This record gives sequence, structure tokens and C-alpha cells, in this order.
Amino acid sequence: MPDALSPTVHADHFAVFGLSRRLHLDLAALEKEFYRQSRKLHPDRFARAAATEQQAALQRTSQLNDAYRTLAEPIPRIAYLLELEGVRRRDERVDADGGRANQVPTELLEEVFELNMALDEARSGGLDDPGTRRQLAEAQEDFQSKLGTVDTALLERAAAWDRARDAGESGGEILQQISGLLDRRNYLQNLLRDVAAVLSPTP
Amino acid sequence: MSYSDKVIDHYSNPRNVGTLDKKDPNVGTGLVGAPECGDVMRLQLKINPETQIIEEAKFKTFGCGSAIASSSLATEWIKGRTVSDALAIKNTDIVRELALPPVKIHCSVLAEDAIKAAITDWKQRHTEAVLAPAETAKA
Ligand code: FES
Repeated sequence: MPDALSPTVHADHFAVFGLSRRLHLDLAALEKEFYRQSRKLHPDRFARAAATEQQAALQRTSQLNDAYRTLAEPIPRIAYLLELEGVRRRDERVDADGGRANQVPTELLEEVFELNMALDEARSGGLDDPGTRRQLAEAQEDFQSKLGTVDTALLERAAAWDRARDAGESGGEILQQISGLLDRRNYLQNLLRDVAAVLSPTP
Repeated sequence: MSYSDKVIDHYSNPRNVGTLDKKDPNVGTGLVGAPECGDVMRLQLKINPETQIIEEAKFKTFGCGSAIASSSLATEWIKGRTVSDALAIKNTDIVRELALPPVKIHCSVLAEDAIKAAITDWKQRHTEAVLAPAETAKA
């Protein structure tokens, strides 16, 4: 029988695809490997197998799906790597002093706060005021372009981390920078979602 | 996930929402954020420099129900208390009072951080206000 039947627990999502921890992936190769393994584990092939083997195939399939979903997209891949490397937990940053890190730059917080105030005003009827509407539209553009900048920086840092790893370094500092960029990204995304909701409310 | 009654109470009827004059030398402003969820909280305190008593506390939070409840509760707790009393408040006190579940702990951390940030800002601004005239005189 194929060795695929043991419910092997891989060390991490990268290992599922036989990859080492790197942020740059060959997506075409990843997809190909995903389909190859999916076929191998397809329930039809185990229709007559023992219950335990069917179970194992199912488990491997769900592991494979998880791994693929996480690795196929750059942001989830980066967030996952930070988790693996112990830089942050699923929903929070891990810091030396026990889990809190408020390293969001003040100027970003101020921007976020101001825009939220404007959103509040717009929500309570101020949107009829063309000035408010314009201000929001401008903010939307501004945040969109900031998001673009963050994403570019993220990709650049991701490449730098790969290089550090290839050179046998830990790259810990780079991961901290990446973590900071992800935080910034969270803020920008929340804002964009809120601005969009105010500007074009879906009934 | 369901919110506790106390959270719902503070959330639907938040105490001390508002703004104080940022330029008043007796007012300290703390602006903090929780990057993991993208929420922000602003807490402002008006502190009497002689008595060190927090005379006014106002907050504005853009975030989840627990963050709003945490900041609302925090203002209730610190109003009329001294600066050192306020600094003694721990996020775990808030967690206990509001019965926050583990995933909402960071919301209470935000409130504790906001108190500290506001007081730090007040101290700084206050020292500056005291020193400023002397410096103008020098210049
Ligand atoms: S979920 Fe972020 S402050 Fe509550």
C-alpha cells in the first residue's frame, strides 16, 4: 500500500510540501504538488481500504488543505512563519515582557484616530456635507497607497529574510520588522474597510 | 462568544465618553492601539497638580465591545482618585471585573496602557509648562 496511509504529522506546513522555511515560494510548483498529493489521498482510492486507512487519508487531506491555504497567499504565509518562529501568536504579538508590544508608531495611531473621528461624523449624517465626503475619499486613497507601500516593504523584507536564512543567519531582527509591518497593515485594512462601508453602504 | 452583562452595560451605556482640551497643561492624553485587531483608544485625564487627583476622565475608543467597556470602566475607577492609585490599576483587575474571556485580554491591556500613557503625557506636559516660562526668560 502507498505510504500515504500513515497519518504522518508533518513538522510544519512547509514540510507538507517538502519545503524548508522560506518566504518566497514557487507557486506553480506548490499548486502542482498540492494536486498530486490530493489525488493520491482521494477518498475514491480508499473506498475499499480499512476504516483506519480511510481515516488517515482524510486526516492527511485536511492537513494538506490547511497547508496549501496558508502557503499559497503571501500574507497568511508570512503571518504563519512569524508564528512558527515564535515572533507572534495567532492573534497577538509576543514580546520579551510577556506578550505586549505597543510599538505602533504614534503618528499612525493619530492618523487612525483622526480618520475614525471623521468616519464617526460621517456616519451620524455628516456625509451630506460634500467636504466630509471629499475628506473621506481622500483618506481612502491615502490609506490605499499606504497599504501598497507596506506590501512592497513586506515583500522586500521577506526576500531579505530568505537571504539571511540562506546565509545561515537567524534573521530575527528582520522578523521583528516584518511583524511591525503586519501591524501597520492591520490598521490600514480596518480603516479601509470602515471607510468603504461609510462611503458606499451596502443596504 | 458572548459578552458578560457588565460588558454589555458599559458598551450600551458607556460612561465618560468625550474629549478634553489637549492644550490644557493639566490634561494628559494617552493614545494607544492594539495592532493585532487594529483598534485604537484615546484616554484623557485632567489632573490637579497640587493634589494629584484626577478630576476628569474622558475616553473615545474605536474598537470592540470589550475595549469600549474596559475604557469606560477605567474612567469610572480613576475619576476622583490619585495618580498613584490610577497607576496601580492592572489589566487583570479589568479582566476580572468584566469577566473577559482570554481572547479579549488584549482589550483590557489597551485600557491599562492608556492610563499609563495619559499620565506620562500629563507629567511631561506639566513639567514643560513649569519650565517653559523660565526658558522664555532665558531666550
Ligand atoms: S478586539 Fe481589539 S481591542 Fe478588543
